[in-house]
This record gives sequence, C-alpha cells and structure tokens, in this order.
Amino acid sequence: MTTLLEGPVPIDTFTQPTKIRDLSDAVFADLYSGDRFTASLLNKRLTFAVEHIATAFVRQAFSPIVAQWYDFSCCIAAPPEMDYMVSAVSDSLLSFVGTMPDAVRSTVTEYGVENLRDGDVLINNDAYRIGGHVNDLGFIKPVFHEGRIVAFIAMRVHQLDIGGVTPGGFGAMKRNAYENGLVIPPTLLFSEGKPVRSTFSLIFENTRFGAVLAPDLFSAYAQLRFGERLFLDNVVEYGLNTVHGSMRYACDANAEVMREAIQELPDGDYTATASLDADGIDDTEDYGVVVTVRKRGFKIEVDLTGTSRQARTCMNASFTDTKNAIGCALSMLIAPGVQFTSANWRDIDVVCPPGTMVSALPPDGAVMFYWESGNAILGAIFKALNPLLGERAMAGDVGSTNAHNGGGLLPDGTPWACIAQVGGEQGPWGATKAGDGDSYGVELILNCKSPGLEPVEAGAPVTVLANEAVIDTGGPGYHRGGAALRRESYWLADGQHYISPYRTKAPSGFGAYGGGDGAVGAIWSFPPEVARIRERSAPVPLDSSAYRDSVPIAGVLDPDAKTLGGSNATYFHYGAVPVWDFPAGTVMRVVTNGGGGWGDPFTREVERVVADVRNGYVSLEGAARDYGVVITGDPHFDPENLQIDETATHELRSRPR
Amino acid sequence: MLAVDVGGTFTDVVAVRNGRIETAKVSTDYQAVYGSVIEGAESLGLRGSRIFNHASTHGLNAVITRNLPKIGVLTTEGHRDVLDHGTIGRPGSALLDPNWRRSFGDATRPLVERYLRRGIRERILADGSVLFPLDEDQARAEIRVLKRCKVEGVAIVLINAYLNAAHELRLRELVAEELGDVPVSISSDVSPLAQEYARASTTVVDTFMKLIFSDYVRLLDEGLRSHGFDGQLNFADCAATLVPAQSAMEQPFRIVFAGPAAGTVASAHFGELIGERNLICADVGGTSCDISVVRDGSPTLKTTFELEYDLVVNALANDVTAIGAGGGSLVTIGMSGEIEVGPGSAGSTPGPACYGKGGTQPTTTDTCLMAGIIDPATFANGKIALDPSLSRKAFEALDCTFSLPARIRFAYEMGVNNLAQGIFNVAVKTGVDPRRFSLVAYGAAGPMLLPATMDVIQCKEVIVPPHPGLFSALGLLSTEQKFAVNRSAYTMLTPAAAESLNSIFEEMERSLLATLPAARGVTLTRSFDGRLVGQTFEKPFVQVPSGKLDAAAIEQMVTNFHDTFEAATGNRFSAVPVEGVTYRVQATVPSEKVEYPVLPSRQEAGSDLRPIASRTLRYIYDEDIEVNVYDRSELRAGDTIAGPAIVTEKLSTTHIVPGQTLTVGHYGEMVITRAERSAR
Repeated sequence: MTTLLEGPVPIDTFTQPTKIRDLSDAVFADLYSGDRFTASLLNKRLTFAVEHIATAFVRQAFSPIVAQWYDFSCCIAAPPEMDYMVSAVSDSLLSFVGTMPDAVRSTVTEYGVENLRDGDVLINNDAYRIGGHVNDLGFIKPVFHEGRIVAFIAMRVHQLDIGGVTPGGFGAMKRNAYENGLVIPPTLLFSEGKPVRSTFSLIFENTRFGAVLAPDLFSAYAQLRFGERLFLDNVVEYGLNTVHGSMRYACDANAEVMREAIQELPDGDYTATASLDADGIDDTEDYGVVVTVRKRGFKIEVDLTGTSRQARTCMNASFTDTKNAIGCALSMLIAPGVQFTSANWRDIDVVCPPGTMVSALPPDGAVMFYWESGNAILGAIFKALNPLLGERAMAGDVGSTNAHNGGGLLPDGTPWACIAQVGGEQGPWGATKAGDGDSYGVELILNCKSPGLEPVEAGAPVTVLANEAVIDTGGPGYHRGGAALRRESYWLADGQHYISPYRTKAPSGFGAYGGGDGAVGAIWSFPPEVARIRERSAPVPLDSSAYRDSVPIAGVLDPDAKTLGGSNATYFHYGAVPVWDFPAGTVMRVVTNGGGGWGDPFTREVERVVADVRNGYVSLEGAARDYGVVITGDPHFDPENLQIDETATHELRSRPR
Repeated sequence: MLAVDVGGTFTDVVAVRNGRIETAKVSTDYQAVYGSVIEGAESLGLRGSRIFNHASTHGLNAVITRNLPKIGVLTTEGHRDVLDHGTIGRPGSALLDPNWRRSFGDATRPLVERYLRRGIRERILADGSVLFPLDEDQARAEIRVLKRCKVEGVAIVLINAYLNAAHELRLRELVAEELGDVPVSISSDVSPLAQEYARASTTVVDTFMKLIFSDYVRLLDEGLRSHGFDGQLNFADCAATLVPAQSAMEQPFRIVFAGPAAGTVASAHFGELIGERNLICADVGGTSCDISVVRDGSPTLKTTFELEYDLVVNALANDVTAIGAGGGSLVTIGMSGEIEVGPGSAGSTPGPACYGKGGTQPTTTDTCLMAGIIDPATFANGKIALDPSLSRKAFEALDCTFSLPARIRFAYEMGVNNLAQGIFNVAVKTGVDPRRFSLVAYGAAGPMLLPATMDVIQCKEVIVPPHPGLFSALGLLSTEQKFAVNRSAYTMLTPAAAESLNSIFEEMERSLLATLPAARGVTLTRSFDGRLVGQTFEKPFVQVPSGKLDAAAIEQMVTNFHDTFEAATGNRFSAVPVEGVTYRVQATVPSEKVEYPVLPSRQEAGSDLRPIASRTLRYIYDEDIEVNVYDRSELRAGDTIAGPAIVTEKLSTTHIVPGQTLTVGHYGEMVITRAERSAR
C-alpha cells in the first residue's frame, strides 16, 4: 500500500548511507533545489499556510460536527509529476490526516489532470476512493502558475447530512452504499471560478439541512482560494523549483525520522487482536481485527490477515482509513511529535485481503463508523508492540464513541435533532508513563471541542441528569486508567434514536506495563413508567435493583437483573431494535468503558490510593482488591479522616501474586 | 497619575507629572508583592497623585502554580466533574501524543479536588422551570462535609442557573447558615452565561480571587495612604479597563490577569493621537510575543480569557495571542539537522548565553549580539553586561553542519520568520487585512526584530512608540473605567422577541446604573453575542440599538449581525435566521489619561541629525555592512533615516533593514516604511 502513498523517492536513505542532516551543501542543493535553510523555512511557511486555512474555516463553520469535532482537514499537495506528495496537513482531525494524499491523487487521476482548468474545484466523497465516509466531502482546487498546475489545495469537510436512510448519517443499521448516502465521484463543483449549477442541485436534491450545507460549501471554497494565494505568494518570492524542493525535503526528512524510530525496535513478529461486538443485523457473528506486526531492520509490515470479513452494516472502514490508523498508531508509540507528511509511512507496508471489515468493498461493505474499526486497529497495534517498549508502553482508551443520534418532532411539529452529543461520545484515556489517564476525552484517533451540555439542552428536548466519572472502572495501575463516564439523558419529547456502541464485550482499555484492564460499559433505557423522574424528583437510582425493569440496549449483562457482568451474563445487542423509540419521559443511561492502567498497581503510593478513595475513583473494596491498600472510614461523609491499616496493607502488598 | 504593572520578575512603574513621563523598574518580591508596589511607586513619588492604577499577574500566578486557598464547590448532582472536563479537546500539537493531559483535569492538578466538589439534588430545565426542587436536607448534609474539611470559601454552580437563580440563592443562604461568614460566589451572580464549564471555572476563580485579593487590597490601600497617597486606587482587568478597588472586590475574577491587555490599550490610545486607528500590536519580551489587534481605534475583545490551555474565565478580555518567540527564544537543531528557534525559552534564568548566568544554548538575543544589532556595552541601559564570546561558544556547540556565519544568519531569519508567521496568523484569525494596518512594535525586543518582518506581514508600516520597553505600563494610564453586566438567553431574533429582549436590556441597565459610583459622562453600550441558526460558536459584540427595543430594532440587530459576520468571514448568509445568545451592557466612565509630549521639529533644534557611532552588522546580510547608529533622544520630528541603521535608547534597540525608511513623528514615534511605499 505504500506505493499508493508516496511519490518518486529522490533519495533513498537506505542505499544512501548519508543522513539528510549530514549531506553536503552541494548534494543537498542538488536534491532539493535550494539551500538547507530555505528548504526548512519554506516547509514552515507551507505548514503555516494550512494552519491559516484551518484557523479561518473552523471559525465560521455551521455544521456542529465541523465546529466541535474538528471534522475537516486541509493540505497542500504537489503536482502529478511529483506524485501528489503532501508535506503539510492541518492539525485538525487526526482520522483525516493520512488519507488526504490518497484522496487528491485518486480524485485528480480519475477526473483527468488534463481536464482541469484554472478556477476549477473538484469534489469527491466516495469512501472507497478517498477514505472517510460519505458525509466527508473532499474539495480539490488545482493551483495554476504560468499556465500549468503547480500544486493542489485540498480540504475535506464533514457535511451535516448527505442523504441516505438516517438523518445526519450516524445510524448503525445502514447495510450498503445505497442506504448510506449520496455518493459523489470526482465531479466539478466550480468550473473556472463559477458554481456548477447541476452539481449544487444534485447535492441539495439528495440531502437534508440544505440551509446548513450551502454556507459550509461556500466557506470551504473561500478557504481554497485563500490557500491558493498563500501558496503562490511563496512561488513568486522563492521560485517554483525551490518551493517544490522544500516539499520533497520535508517528506524525506520526516520519513527519515520514522525510519530511525523503527530501526530502534527489536526485529520480530508481534500479534494482537481487538474485537468489535456485533454488526447491526444480529449478534451471530464475532468481529475482530487481527494485527501482525513484522519488524525487520528499518521496515515494518503490518498484516491484517485474519481480520473478520466486512460487516453487514456500516461499521466498516476502507483501506485508506486502515492505513491511516496504522500510521497514527505507530507514530504515537514510537515517534510522537513527528511532522506528518505523505512519506512518513514510507517504510511501513500493509498487507490486507480485500473485503474485510477494514478493507470493505462496495456496495455491500457499508462504511460509516470507520474510526471505530480504526481505533480497534490502533489498540491492537499498541497491544502488539507494548511488550517491546517497556515504560513507553501505552494503555487502551474508551474504545468507542458509542455514538448517539436522535431526532423527532416537537408537539407543535418543529423538527429537532441531537447528533453525537449525549451518548457515550466522551470517555477516558489509558494511563501512560506520563501519569493517570484523563477521564474525559475522546478516542485517541479523534479530537473534539464542545461548548458543553447547556447549549445542547437549549437546542433539543433533552436534560442530561449525569455526566460523571464512575467508581472502580479505571484500570488499576501504578498510574490508574481514566474512569468510565456515566451519562444519563432524560428525554422531554418523543423521538427516534440510533445508538452505536461497539466495544462492550471485551475491555478496550487494556492495561500496559503491568497495569490492569479498565471495566467494560453498557447502555440501558428506562421507560417513563420505570424512570418516573418527576414522581420521584430524583434521577434513576444507581443500585443494582434499579436495573431490573430497564431495557438493555447494549452490554454484557445478567439477563434478569440487567446488571453488568455475573456468571450468566449474556450480550445484549444494540441492533435488536433498529430504531429505538423513546417516548417522552425515557431515561437513557450510558456507561462507557474505563481506560487501562499502567504499571503494577501494588506499587502505587498509598497516599495516591487514599486520594482516589477520597475522590470516589476507587472504593474501599477496590483499594484492597486492586491496590493492596486497606483503608477504613467513610469516604463520602468524612473524606479527610480515612485511616490506613498499615499492617493489613503490608500483608496484602507483600503476598506473592 | 501613577501606574504599576506587577510582572513575574519586575514591577514596572510609570508616572505622569507636569506632562513628563517618568519610569522605574523594581524587582517583584513574591513574599510581599504589595511591598514592591509601594517601593516602586514611592521611588517616583506618591504624594499628590490623584490616580493610582494597578495591574498584576498575581491572580494568574496563583492559579498556574496552584498556590490556592482551599475551597468547596456545590454543583448539581451528577455534574461534579464539570470543572475537570473543560471543552474536552486537546491542542493540535498533542494530536499524536497519548501522553498529553489536561492541565486541570483529574489526572493532573484539578483546581478543586473532587471530594470538595459536592453534588446537590436539584435540577432546573433549559426553559428555567424546576424539574427537581432543591433538597435542603441533602444539601445541608453535603455542606457539612465541606465544614468538616474546613474550606475557606465556596463556589456554587448549578446547571441552567443562568436562567433561574433561585436554587443558587437558597444554597448561598444554607452555606451561610452552616459555615458562617466565608466568601461565597454563585454563578448566576458572577457570570450568568450559558455553557456550564466556563461558568463553573469563572465562579471558582472568582472565589479564589476573593480570598487572595481581599487582604492584598487592604494592605496595599493602607500602605499607599501611609505614604501620603490620597487619590483613587483602581485595578485593571483582563481588558485593561479600570475598576475602583472596592468594585473590583465584588467581581474579582475580572482582575485575575491584566498585563498584556494594557499594551493593546496603550497602542490604541497612542494610535488615536497620531491618527492611526488600525493597528496590529506586538509586544516582544523575553519569552513570548503578545499579539493583538486594534480596529477602528478599539482593541479586539473576546468574551473569555484562558489562564492555561482551555482553563477559561468569562471575563471580557483583550484578545491577546502569545506565541513562543522573544529575545530568550532558544536556537536548537531539529530532527533533520535544521535550525529551529523557539518556542522554548531560556527564561530569566539562565537567560541567553551571553548573560553569563550558565546558559549554554544560544538565543535570539545571542543572535542579535553576534550580528552586531545589540551593543554589549549599552544593553538594558548598561545594567546587564553581555559577553559575545559566550554567544559564539553557544553557537559553535550546536550539533549541525552549518558554518558559524550560516548558523547565525539562519537563526536570525528563522526567528524573524516565526514572529512574522505568528503575527500573520493572528491577522487571519481576526479577519483583518494587514496591508491596511500598522504594526506597533514594543516590548524590549520588539523594535529590534519587528521591522524585519514587514516583507512577510505586508503591513502598512511599523510604528515604534515612545518608551517601547515600558509601553504596556503606559496603557494603564490610557484607559477608561468600565462596568459591565451580561446575561444569556437563547432567543430567535424575530419581531416576537422584541418584548423579552427589551426587558432583558432594561433590567440589565437598571442594575448596572445602580452599582455605578457617582460620575459624570457615563455612556452605556449594548451588544449581543449571536450566531446563525445551526452554528455552534457565537460571534460576540454585535451592536444593539439603544432605547426601547421594538420590531424594527430587532431587524436592525439582525442586519448588524450579518454585517459583523460578513466583515469577519467574507460571506453573508442573509437567508439564515439569527439567534441571540448573550446580551451585554457596558458602562464607560471617562478617566484621566496620559498625554504624550510633542517633540520639537528639526528646524527648531537648529542642528543636523548626526549618528553617534557606526557599527558593523555581520552574518545577517550577504556581506558585512557598516551602519550608522543614532541616539533616539537626539531625534527630532521630521527626521528621516534610511536603512540599514540602528537607533538606540535606554531599554531598547531599533534595527531597520535595507530598503526601509524611518521617519520621526510629532510625538517622537518612529514610523518605518518600505522603500516602495510612500512615506506618511
């Protein structure tokens, strides 16, 4: 797969024993059409240029998915004769970073570079061609200088809706490309600076929320033109060859950093797996990612053979996203801080049969929740390589966005929607050598920024009754995993809901470096007559008896008590009901997975364990069981008077384990 | 008039007396900050001053070092982690870094430990109605836990309390009954704005500041009066507007941080004087460059201020962006052998290598010293002796293949480039076209580095104001007293909204006027934060007509919104409805301000401008060049100097590059333009 990613290699740093930093000035100038300083200066300038585009765009986005989840990215790609290499990508959505170069190459090649005119903008949203999912619309603008194409400015922007059977798109039940949404192959959106009416009509006739889509399309166009101007400023000032040389330089330099990091790992084959609960149809089929990392010298081959066949609903990813997840995982583990370019993964090969859940094919391998499979790959690679890394090992995270997507009509007929805001979209990180895991983030492969719950309550008929860390859920460790999140939504109007949890069967928050796994979570609904919120003037209780009359949505639960775990526990399938109808008065309770611990929990300082008990992250029982620290007292009402039983603690901690 | 700017290392003092500007700098004494303030002020004379304006980084320092009093937080049951959550995201620089941690999250250093954040059974809905009444027995039991833990103050933040304050007010009474007379802040009073996290952090910071500042204000006030001061003591807030000391103690979160904001105000005031109302302000100090924008004579404001990444307070603040580029920025070698400058800094210890205080890494100051821009004998008015041989040694020790001259040249160009790109990014973010803006260069290192950024930024001109090294402190004598109230209510801006919005504004104005000290010339300004329906983030400070709001006034608000949006983004979406989110009223009370003395013209001086020396600039140009050095105190209005040249003054050095022309203005400002552009 690397051949798809990178351009012609001007210097092979393997056969060429000289590292870039040791090249003579003459050789450097020969390779990169400029002096070393200008090359690094221009690299910085192009990086700033994509940052300028991103800064301007996010401030005017309509789609909350763009504004809150940074669900867009932009880059500058080189012309075809440099094989579209990308030296600078905006630091917006991580799951887009690595697929941008493929998106530009594939779209331009298919449309025909000879057919492009100055002022054209191409769009493309086909996941099988460019990665992401149908909502992610790619925009590509050729930059002309003296009559020829010298670069492309490209963006990818999540559209609030792109048609298909689920408003907003985040429905787990979509079974094929047709249900998924409108697929737009490489198509002109602007022709020589003018909007193409037929393309706009095609989009608006097939999608919802046109009033939001239209301004986002025009805002993206404004940013493409801005990026074009910034690029051409540099061409005018430094000359085209020097600018292109700096792009080659940035690609080679960062590829070399990755190569050196790979070289430090011991040679060998390392295998690990991660599972996804079930697809939307039923729970008869187990889905899993199998990752085998083969490391030899400066090369890594990641083999996904053994990964499940593509799912029957849209939890699949396309091959470009799989490549991105692999690249991101390896960068995080072995070279954090490296600048992303299209050549970073030059020494990483990916082997994957077609038609798996991470190399899905149209029309039946629907792709929507591609990051869920991606995060599973990321976790499996962490697990595979952790044993080699000693204290650099990293624990697993919340594992799934447990995405919720709800909507309906208010009694007066006004439509409402609540998308990716009150399910289990947030949750904990795993612990690392840097310390305990944070209890409130998003999956590592994503990032988001949210103004909070009050604006959500103002915009949709929902009240969030809890948004809090759950006791005894973070994986025990010298550094504790982040605690699971419990989020409870109380619905004030009837509505239809889609919920997409994928990691409740096995812990996604695996431990690292001797740390324990985080707990698994589950999702329940409490019908109005069970929740009785107004009658009791209180939330649904947390004790185990409260679950008996609940309706499980997902999780491995006792079939009678409906509580987590137990010897009879069975899996409850989120797809058992394709659309969850919640009458007004329903409560949905989401408990996410916990993050994994790092290091031996029995070595955690006693004071830190006491602090965890005082702060409600660890119970008295958990302190003894998981940390070997015996504490007495009343953590809730007298938190500063907890007593440590030194003798019992010593005994527990010195017992052979 | 006196003003004091208390920084982490130095306390700057400026006084204006009989039209003369006097300045002093003393070390900040962390143990007794008010002592440094009084010492500094006394050195310029306190007696007879009518006004004493005070800004400090005191509050900010307490927060970022977590040197904080023990307080409790009462919040809606189920939401006690709201303070830890922030706005969730990690910064772009941490995208590939699973070792990143939120600095105030549960895994690091929360502002208030979780066990001191207690959940209270109650719930108010998004329309202000009550879902769960306040359970007073449960609340008392929780408050007693705080009593057992001996908290010194309490912050109360309930979900949706910005719409209905009843439960917060009652809880405050319960706290008083259970805990007695401790400082309490409630969110519906401190900052009745939507978005629970920012309201919570603001309220918590307010409680901290009450505890931290109340003793300080008393000691400072007593100290000043015992030294003969009998005028008005004011505190500057995050927008560098002034608040009388006693009012400041009613909303102390406003004064948590006031340093950089003052520089913007100083620029706006001075710009007005010389007829330049569109400014990009850049304050280049030792570790950072603080960048802000003045548009049509007014500083660009934002509605929140960040104490740490994502640790926000809802204080009106001048929108100041700090980038890691200053005189102390470290020169390092990157992963592929390239020269990098910043964002790391040598700080004040060890400082640049040439300080001889143990620094071995070259910095931008070392670069400028090696290049000959800085004169080792006269740096910082001769107070810091510089040793060029140490700079040289540091550059030679860098692990790279470049020759020494190339190292210095690249370090210079990269340093200038980083400043230029950072400034340009702020212009993009703020939506301004730098070609119509002047760049104000101040801070000790600003005049030395910023003229060279002109080609990248393409600004109209660079202005070096008088006293660039202490210019920020002058901002404290360039500003007004301001008082503000804000309130949130999500409202579609249709004619039907006129009545409710009218009563919101009328009530806000009534309560604001009731709190004002008796003063003449008060002006009230209304604005709102709005968004196009469907957007997540609001655009603040859209104008609202004065007087009674009727259907026509609402229509005007909608038009104003579209105008503001279009000016910032270049797009206008008239078909999309507008939603109001937050409403603001500000009262401005005019204050006495600094007047800059007029500089006599060259004709009046009766002599020609002569350089005081010549110096060789090395490495940074293609060949070594001799340049003239001028003493700023000898410049007269109308003088022009062609670059390359150096102008020195007490605390600063100005370096103009070939092709630039420096013209001296009526108030002593130095205006630098590029050759291809006509001089002013």
